[in-house]
Amino acid sequence: MSDDPLLSPRAKAGRAPDVFAPGGWIPMHAYREDEAVDFVIVGTGAGGGTLACKLAEAGFSVVAMDAGPYFRPLEDFASDESEQTKLYWTDDRIVDGENPLQMGSNNSGKAVGGSTVHFAMVSLRFRPEWFRSRTLLGYGADWPLDWREMWRYYAKVEQALKIAGPVTYPWGPPRPRYPYRAHEMNAAALALARGCEAMGIGWTETPLATLSAPRGRAHPCVYRGFCTTGCSTNAKQSALVTWIPRAIAAGAEIRDLAMVGRVEVNDAGRATGVHYHREGGWRFQKARNVVVAGYAIETPRLLLNSATSRFPDGLANSSGLVGKNLMAQSNQAVWGISKDEIRSYKGPPSLAITEHWNYDDNKDFFGGYSYMSQGPLPQLWANTQMSARGLWGDSLMAEMERYNHVVGLKIVGEMLPQESNRVTLADAKDQYGLPIARITYSWSENDRALIDHSLRFMARALEAIDAREIWTQDDDTCHLNGTARMGGDPRTSVVDADCRSWDIRNLWICDGSVFPTVGGVNPSLTIQAIACRTGDRIKALAALGDL
Amino acid sequence: MRTAIDKTMQNQLVAIAAQLDVLEKGLSQHFPRREPTVRAARRLNGASGILSMSVLADSGIEHYRGSFENKAMFTPLVMSALSLAVSAHGTADSRPDAHRIRDAVYAAAALTGVVGTGFHVYNVLKRPGRLSWQNLFYGAPLGAPMAILLSGLLGVYSERLRDDRGASPTVFGLPAGRTLAALTGAGLLGTAGEAGLLHFRGAYHNPFMYAPVTIPPVAAGLLGAAAAGFSGRTRWLTRWWLRLTALLGFAGAGFHAYGVSRNMGGWRNWRQTVLNGPPLPAPPSFTGLALAGLAALGLLEDHTDA
Repeated sequence: MSDDPLLSPRAKAGRAPDVFAPGGWIPMHAYREDEAVDFVIVGTGAGGGTLACKLAEAGFSVVAMDAGPYFRPLEDFASDESEQTKLYWTDDRIVDGENPLQMGSNNSGKAVGGSTVHFAMVSLRFRPEWFRSRTLLGYGADWPLDWREMWRYYAKVEQALKIAGPVTYPWGPPRPRYPYRAHEMNAAALALARGCEAMGIGWTETPLATLSAPRGRAHPCVYRGFCTTGCSTNAKQSALVTWIPRAIAAGAEIRDLAMVGRVEVNDAGRATGVHYHREGGWRFQKARNVVVAGYAIETPRLLLNSATSRFPDGLANSSGLVGKNLMAQSNQAVWGISKDEIRSYKGPPSLAITEHWNYDDNKDFFGGYSYMSQGPLPQLWANTQMSARGLWGDSLMAEMERYNHVVGLKIVGEMLPQESNRVTLADAKDQYGLPIARITYSWSENDRALIDHSLRFMARALEAIDAREIWTQDDDTCHLNGTARMGGDPRTSVVDADCRSWDIRNLWICDGSVFPTVGGVNPSLTIQAIACRTGDRIKALAALGDL
Repeated sequence: MRTAIDKTMQNQLVAIAAQLDVLEKGLSQHFPRREPTVRAARRLNGASGILSMSVLADSGIEHYRGSFENKAMFTPLVMSALSLAVSAHGTADSRPDAHRIRDAVYAAAALTGVVGTGFHVYNVLKRPGRLSWQNLFYGAPLGAPMAILLSGLLGVYSERLRDDRGASPTVFGLPAGRTLAALTGAGLLGTAGEAGLLHFRGAYHNPFMYAPVTIPPVAAGLLGAAAAGFSGRTRWLTRWWLRLTALLGFAGAGFHAYGVSRNMGGWRNWRQTVLNGPPLPAPPSFTGLALAGLAALGLLEDHTDA
C-alpha cells in the first residue's frame, strides 16, 4: 500500500498520524458508519477542526471528514513552492464576474487542518464596531454576536494557539497579554515600521500563530520562511497540530481523503448523515447532527448540491442567501527597491502590521484595511512580476536579480457584501461527478475607493523610507467569507448566532461562510473564536435538551 | 607495622602544625591581619575570572551570531580573555601587593563594559520603536556589557584590597567588605533583571525560568543588609543563599543546554540551536557574582568594621 497521503488515507484502522514524530501514530477511535454519531463535521480547518475538538472534549461522538490528505509536516513538506501546491484546493472551478477571483494558494486549502496548514498565521481580532457595522458605521450587516463575548473567545483561541504578539496592542479596547512574546522583526518589518513612523501612524508586531518559545513537542520557529507553503517544523500552530490532535485524544475520528458530496435529509426535514467518497467508492455516515465547515466556496456548493424535492433550492436556503454575499478581501500591494538588502523571505512573511486605517474613520469610504510587511517566496515573486507587470525573459531575469532588495507593503482590506457576488453550481462536474462551483465576483465602487486609498497611502510610506521604483500590484485578493451569513432573522440570514441553520435545526455551518462582513483583518482567529463559541453553545443546548 | 607508621606521621604533622602556628603568629606581627584580606582578594580574582569566562563565551557566541558586523565587536572577546588570564594569575598569587598589569587589564575591562553599554544603547535607540520591548528583546542586550564591567570592577577591587595596609581594609576610602557587598548585590540585581527580561521574551514557558528572577534578588537583598550594617556577625543565611545562587549559575547552564535541545534538530543541529537557543554561558554570571558576594562576607566576618 502506498504511503502517499494524496493517494491512500492515513487515518484509519484505529490510528492516525502523529504529526510530531516521524513515522509515529496515535490511537484514534473508529466509529461505525451505520450507527449515528452525535456530529459529523465536513471540513477540518479553522472552523471544523476547532469545533471537532470542542465537541469531542464536551463528550460528543464526532467524525470529522476532510477531502484532503493527512500530512506529516516533518516528513511531507519540502522547501519547494511547486511541490507544496499540494496543500491548495485546485479542483476545477469556474470564476467569472468583472473581477474574477484567482482560486488556489491564498484562499483555500485541501488537507486535514484546511488552509491553516498554509495560512500566514496572522491572528487578529475584529474591531469591536464591526460586529455592528450597519448600526454603528452605516454599511454591511450587523452580526448577531456581542463583541465582548467574542473578545472572551478570542482570548481563548489566542491561548490555545500560544499566539506570539506584542506586549501591548496599540488599537482597540484592552486585551489580555498574548501568551507568547512577539518574534524578532525582519528587515521587511522594520521597513514597515520606519514608513509608519514617517507617516505618523502606529505600527506593531503582528500577532502570529507561530511559536516564539518551545511548546510541548513543537519547536519554536526557525524563521525558515516557507510559512505559506507549509511549516515543516510544527512551529506554526495550524489546526493540524493543535485542534486535531486534541480532538483525536478526546475521542473524535478524523477521516482524510473523504470528500462529502451530499448531506442526506429525511422527510421530516432533519439531516441524517452524509454521503462521502473515500477509497474509490461512495459511503454513508449516519449522524444526529451535520456540521458543514468547507469554507465559503465548498460550503454553499455542498448545500446547493444536497437539494431535494423538499428543499429544491438547496439546504438551509429558505432565505435564498446560500451562496450570496461572497466576500474576498482586497490584497493589493505596493512594491519598491531598497538600497539596503531586505531579504524579505527570511522569517514569517508578515512580522509587522499597522491597523491604523481600521480604526480611523476619517476616510471617504466604508470599511477598513490593515497593511503588513511582505515576504514573497521566489517563485511567487517571479509569477507576480510576470502577471502584474508582464515581465518575461531578460527583463524578468534582471528583475529577479534584485529580489534581495525588494520591499513591499500589502493590505488586507474589507470588501463589502453584495448579493451579486456569489457561488452557484455550474454544469461541469468534478472528479467525483459532482457539479462544480461557479464563483462570480465584482468589486463595488466602495471596494475600489478603499483600494485606491490604500495604494496611495502605502506608496507614500515607501517613498518616505527612500524606496525607489515604486509600483503597485492592484489586482489581488485573499480569504473568502460570506455565502451563509449568520443573523437574527431567518429571512435575511442562513444561520443563527450559534451557527445553526434556521431551516434544518440539526444542520450547522461553522466556518468563514457565516461572516456577515469581513473587516480589514485576516479571518482565521475570528473563525476559530466562532467555532469555540459554537462548541460551548451546543454543549449548553444539549444540556437543555434542545439539540 | 601500620600503626607504627601512622604514629610517626602523626607526630610529624603535629610538629609541622606547631611550626606553621609560630610562622603565622610571626607574620601577623609584621603584617597585622593581612591573610584574610589577601584571601578575599584572591577570591575576588576567582569571581572576576568566572565572570570573564561567561563574558568571553557569551559575547563570542552572540557577536559571532551578529557576524562581527562592527570590528568593535571583537573588543569584549579580547578584554575578557585578558581578564580571564590575569584572574587566573591573581587567584594563584598569594603575595600581598597589587600587580600593575593585572590592575591595568581589570581597569580596561571595566572601561570596555562602559563603552560596550554605550554601543548597545546606540544600537537599540537607532531601531524603529526605540526603547520598545521588541528592541529590548532583540536589539543589542543593554545589560550584557555590564558583566564585563563587573568583572573589571571586581578585579580592580581585588587589587585595591591587596594594596590596603590598614587594620580594617578600605577601598577608595570606603569600608571594603560593605562596599563590595553592595556592589555585588547591585550586580546580582542587574543580572537578574537581564534574565527577567529575556525569560519574559521566552514567556516563562518553563517554571524553572523563574529561578534566576527570584533566588539572586534575595541574595542581593541579604548582601544589601550586610552592607548596611550588622558586619562581623555570622550571617549563615546569607552565606548559604549565596552558595545556592552560585549553584544556580551552574544549574542554569544545564537548563539552557536542555533549552537548546528543544529547538528544531536539538543538539544534533548544534550549529544552529546553540545560536538560537538560550545562551549557554550566561547563567554562570550568577556564580561569579555569588562568589564575589562570599568574598565580601568573608571580609565582613574577618574585620568587624570592614
